[in-house]
Amino acid sequence: MAPKRTYCTGYNGLTWDVKANNRHFHREKQKKSFLCFTWGRYADNVTRSYKYTVLTFLPLTLFEQFQRVANLYFLLMVVLQCVPAISSVPWYISFIPLVSVLSVRAIKDLANDMTRRRSDSAINSRPCDILISQRFETLQWQDICVGDILRIHKDQVIPADLLLLCSSEPHSLSYVETADIDGETNLKYKQAPGVTHNELTSTPSEESLSAFDGTVLCEEPNNRLYTFRGQLHWRGQRILLDSDHILLRGTVLRNTECAYGIAIYTGTDTKILKNCGKLRVKKTRTEKVLNKAVIGIVLTVLTSALLLSIGGGLFASQVMEQTEVLAALVVDGNPAYSGFLVYWSYIILLSPAMPIALYITFEMIHTVHSLFIRWDLNMYWEKLDKCAEARNTSLNEELGQVEYLLSDKTGTLTQNVLLFRQCCIAGEVYGDVSVSAEDTKPMDLSWNPYSCGGLFMSAPELVQKLRGQQCGFSREFFRALSLCHTAMAQYKNGAPVYQAASPDEEALVGAARELGWAFISRTRDFIIISELGVQRQYQLLALLDFTSKRRRMSVLVREPEGGLKLYSKGADIVILERLQKDCPHQERTEIALEVFSESCLRTLCVAVRSVSEEVWEKWSKSLSQASEMILSEREVVLDQLYDEMERDLLLLGLTAIEDRLQEGVPETIAMLQQAGLKVWVLTGDKKETAVNIGYACKLLDADTRLLEWHELRQILQSPDPQVSFSKARQTELWAVDKEMAGTKTAVVLTGPELAEFVQKPEWGAALMKLASQCQSVLCCRVTPGQKADIVKLVRKHTKSITLSIGDGANDVNMIKTAHVGVGLVGVEGGQAVQNADFSLCQFRFLQRLLLVHGHWSYLRISVFLRYFLFKTCSFALVHIWFGLFNGFSSQSLYETWFIAFYTVFYTSNPILCVAFFEKDANAEDCLKYPELYLSGQKNELSSPVMMLMSLLYAVYSSLILFFIPCGVFFNTPFDFQTMSVTVAMAATFAATIEISLQTKHWTKFNIASVCVSVIMYFLCTKITHSERLFKRAQKDYYFIGAADKAFIDPVVWLTALLTAWTAVLPSVTIHAFNVIRKGNDKHKVHSISPKAVELKSQLGSQTSLRRSSFIRRRAMTANEFTVTPRGSFPSTVPPVDQKVTATKPTTASDAYSFL
Amino acid sequence: MNKKEKPEAENRPDNTAFTQQRLPAWQPMLSAGIVIPLFLIIGLIFIGIGVALFVTSRDLQVLEMDYTGMEQNSPCFSCSDPDQKNCKCTLDFNLDKLFEGPVFFYYALTNYFQNQRSYGVSKDDYQLSGDLDNFKDPDSTCSPYRYDSNNNPIVPCGSLANSMFNDTFKLYQLVAGTKKEVPLDGKGIAWWTDYNIKYRNPSVTPLKNAFNGTVKPLFWPRPAYELDPTDPANNGFINQDFLVWMRRAALPNFRKLYRRITEGDYSTGLPEGNYSLEISYNYPVLNFDGRKKVVFTNVSWMGGKNEFLGIAYLVIGSLCIVMSVVMLIVYAKFKFPEED
Repeated sequence: MAPKRTYCTGYNGLTWDVKANNRHFHREKQKKSFLCFTWGRYADNVTRSYKYTVLTFLPLTLFEQFQRVANLYFLLMVVLQCVPAISSVPWYISFIPLVSVLSVRAIKDLANDMTRRRSDSAINSRPCDILISQRFETLQWQDICVGDILRIHKDQVIPADLLLLCSSEPHSLSYVETADIDGETNLKYKQAPGVTHNELTSTPSEESLSAFDGTVLCEEPNNRLYTFRGQLHWRGQRILLDSDHILLRGTVLRNTECAYGIAIYTGTDTKILKNCGKLRVKKTRTEKVLNKAVIGIVLTVLTSALLLSIGGGLFASQVMEQTEVLAALVVDGNPAYSGFLVYWSYIILLSPAMPIALYITFEMIHTVHSLFIRWDLNMYWEKLDKCAEARNTSLNEELGQVEYLLSDKTGTLTQNVLLFRQCCIAGEVYGDVSVSAEDTKPMDLSWNPYSCGGLFMSAPELVQKLRGQQCGFSREFFRALSLCHTAMAQYKNGAPVYQAASPDEEALVGAARELGWAFISRTRDFIIISELGVQRQYQLLALLDFTSKRRRMSVLVREPEGGLKLYSKGADIVILERLQKDCPHQERTEIALEVFSESCLRTLCVAVRSVSEEVWEKWSKSLSQASEMILSEREVVLDQLYDEMERDLLLLGLTAIEDRLQEGVPETIAMLQQAGLKVWVLTGDKKETAVNIGYACKLLDADTRLLEWHELRQILQSPDPQVSFSKARQTELWAVDKEMAGTKTAVVLTGPELAEFVQKPEWGAALMKLASQCQSVLCCRVTPGQKADIVKLVRKHTKSITLSIGDGANDVNMIKTAHVGVGLVGVEGGQAVQNADFSLCQFRFLQRLLLVHGHWSYLRISVFLRYFLFKTCSFALVHIWFGLFNGFSSQSLYETWFIAFYTVFYTSNPILCVAFFEKDANAEDCLKYPELYLSGQKNELSSPVMMLMSLLYAVYSSLILFFIPCGVFFNTPFDFQTMSVTVAMAATFAATIEISLQTKHWTKFNIASVCVSVIMYFLCTKITHSERLFKRAQKDYYFIGAADKAFIDPVVWLTALLTAWTAVLPSVTIHAFNVIRKGNDKHKVHSISPKAVELKSQLGSQTSLRRSSFIRRRAMTANEFTVTPRGSFPSTVPPVDQKVTATKPTTASDAYSFL
Repeated sequence: MNKKEKPEAENRPDNTAFTQQRLPAWQPMLSAGIVIPLFLIIGLIFIGIGVALFVTSRDLQVLEMDYTGMEQNSPCFSCSDPDQKNCKCTLDFNLDKLFEGPVFFYYALTNYFQNQRSYGVSKDDYQLSGDLDNFKDPDSTCSPYRYDSNNNPIVPCGSLANSMFNDTFKLYQLVAGTKKEVPLDGKGIAWWTDYNIKYRNPSVTPLKNAFNGTVKPLFWPRPAYELDPTDPANNGFINQDFLVWMRRAALPNFRKLYRRITEGDYSTGLPEGNYSLEISYNYPVLNFDGRKKVVFTNVSWMGGKNEFLGIAYLVIGSLCIVMSVVMLIVYAKFKFPEED
């Protein structure tokens, strides 16, 4: 009855049907698409990441580019300038830049697309064996169709999501490496359903496989990597399928000669591709502010053009029609039509306020900043001969504004190398972790034929004991290590290499091998080990598996001598509970446990139990009974049975494994935290590991309180949805250490818990509020999709910039989702790097990337944007004021050539130099005072308010630029051209003075460019006003002689100087006031460094509150009665914190207010 | 870094000051001790310039007389009637002291938009540089002053030329009841480049022949080749008055140089006494509420009288000094906060 019930309930949602060996059925329903229409059901296995085809390239790229408002605007300008009736400047002045911008972009896109096509075809043409008409043919990945039966060889990448039918290994087990999916290098095993294993391996495979006509019913394609629901219908049977039967695309078959599977999901339907996330075009915050400013400018231009054109119409009807000499000039005698033309003319005339050069220069600066990142020797990694690289060149300034750093753990914070560093056997501690692994003296292990290195522990006395056969405990300890595991042995050059389900296990078995207890091989029933060169065969009676709930594993073996032994290893807390009474050495072992966990080692307890034959017989009977039970009941019973067996253990000792951090990780994290970043760790790993690493890399302090799900849930669930209440709850819950509640707490979440957030979207905001007060957040056991969801959560509920860093394919999604994605060049594949915006070789380079390059980029680009908008607006808006004095006739105040050259020659070079070379502090100081970074996070330099101020300043300057010369020249014999030269000169001077004020870091290039700009103005003006050019094209050079006359006129000079000085007076004054204020704070800036040091040393000297989980739990229960240990902290730590935070804002803002 | 540098380290970035962003640079360390005196000095310099300009400007003599004829009692009132043709009026004035020379004689117009765009571009540059093709077919920018009603090309075409100022003046000194004509020098009042390069007469002699088949601008009493009957060389497009007019004014109120008084008895200036200005009143300005003026002025190194510039310098200079005082106060407050 039971199977039937599961069938009925399980059938819901199983709508995806796959018929084995039935290409015809699937081909008909294959997904096809034309333009934006798609139909069909089953995707093919062809990777198509490219965007363009020959036909669609031009329209698509143009479409994409004109989605930028700026490009559309420039196109409009070009079109307008082509109309002779309104054109106030020649058409090519904006046409050529626009075309060059568009084509450069298009070529860049095309090149990217070509690369994508190449990598696509590399993937699509990978070989794979497909069963076609009773024979396996070697075809390509792109030929795979749903329902095909595939043969996968050892070390091949699996091309689609397969249902494992059978394999060459016993029980049709298959081992896969999932490094590309979750970054873990350990092997995971998959098993074929019993039926297919029995039926398909007995007969010659190709025949039986081609006769296989089962139907798989399963879920629609989805992105849940770790679950699968489905049924196999074959020969009238229904077999339930779960994720253990599925080989996922992207994983690699290991340790298995070959495996046979039926393709269930192909191409875009596969779980890994469903997890990939969409490619988003990233835009920086500064760019968004710029876009707002641009829209503001464009609107201002349009409205002032409208007002001016109304004025123009009125002028035409009121004044011109009365004036005999002008009346005839009213176009067609219609003032409204005149006004209409004037409107467009003014749009053209005012358009230099927002020139296309801004975008060209912006792009250029980004490129140079990216080159600086690539050129930085401090981010060059000699071992791989690779530099840091900015793959996306438009995000540089965002690096200076990051507030949330979301980091992967494995391969990013850690090296994913686990080393057996210490052990405690019978209360004796061996090895010394204070000596780093590289400095450990290698032991003489030449006596051991199986030794092949990899042990970083120096304990000659232990070797002596082991070889001298003096200590039964230590021999039993290593026997336990060599027997109690699920690893497989492989032989390379005669020495055993182990492939284990977890890297910890690998390290343990490896350490046992080095010290003489080498695991040789395993069969279904036997384990062969070599004990100090003597081979012994143990009969494997039972394997009590590891689960995250049990947190221990055991093996029950029969020794060659006949005795029964149970060897166990597991988390301290579960093993210590199960010891026999008065276990020897327990107290000393617990002390060692504490010492080990304080030095951030991963510990496991090892224990043994002798089992009598009667107990075993009774137990094995119940075990075989249990195996006949149905699944759900079986688990409960098995748990009980296992528990019964794992009793009265004799504690042998402790193992301590170091999860090696990448170089400089703790220092980097500490520095980034000082710079105001919140560092979160997102990992697919277990909670214990993640927390352990959190401590090891100083993300969590020794006395950090972990806020786990049960507590967090209470806070989030609090009936009043608003945070005010949850805050009250919070203080209530943490009443013991109110003062430190915020900073000394870290949230720990796991994947399944995060899944609940999907149903409770309101929790997200509450969590973010909470998290913003916490030291850190650790998310464990999360899928790639969930990693991205966390990034989305942060993006949704804060306005902060997020940065994701990771090295594996499992990080791709979060790298794509975050504002800035950084990929670490790891040992494995390059998936993360390919999708990242920046690639680094080492985690510690992040501090330089953010605190130095990011900081400088932000500073430079902010200064650049503000100055650029100032100089263009102040110069172009003059026409609005001039319009009031020339009958709103869209008469240009400048010569055409000045308009063309102003942005290009007269003012561009100095700002370019600033954008390349400006620094507020040199690299060393940026790293020494991470507080400088805060200005970027607060967006102090490029906030909308700052932009607005710059624009208002530009309006003021434009007023001055017009009205002072206007006052001077009013009612005088000075002609229009002289005034034009005067205003142009003043505008150039004002722009030059302004950039000189902005420049704090004068390199020789800065000085040269400022001088050259001014010289260029006089030279070019002279040339364009010269006789020779006039004779060549008198229409284009109609200002002949104006410069000669103006440049020797003292009134022109005096007016230009006065105007320029007055135009920049506000800026000069603000700078001066800042100098006066800053001069006074100077001693404060210097006083910050000793305090920072003081803080560090205090943190270091704190007595650690961190204990192993067992001891922690005991301490916690004790804490309910005594509050003493907490009370001592507030008196030492917080005052330091306060001091630092009190000085931080002043220094950070001071360093910048001056800019 | 070491000698171990292997050949495969080819991706190693160059260790130059530029690539490593270590370019030597000068970082000006400004302090209150520099900034405040700097402001003070700039302020003082500006005030100095302002005073110099102001004093120079004050010493210049200007005599400006409106002759539009708006008021009943003004001598040109009768001429202000647009129906009057060839009207002449006389403006008498008295100088109570010597008007130091050289005296510049300007006419001034107000509310006149010579900087109007369509007005300003309404001319044919090629025609004005003597291109005979454009005599037959003037540029379209001249429209509607391109052809007359009989479809004859207008030379010089366009609104700018058409509206040329055509009042003429004669200045007499009244000496013992007789009128003594003051010689007015009309040479070199236009820009050198305009006279020599920009504007050219067609190389046809006599000049009149070049204008065959063309008509004079509608508002002009005489054709271009007869602009100056007294001097045959001062005709056509290089007529000084024409050039002065064609150089557009910057703003709606402007002056244009008419003549200089440099010759004879008047080379040192206009002596004190009574003068009479004879105006042939042709140019209509009342319909657009404009004014016509004559201005006599002498010039200094800075040109004509210009009070605005001097005052502006004084204002900005004082502002800088005020600013520096404020800065000093702020500085003192920051420096000695306890003393408050």
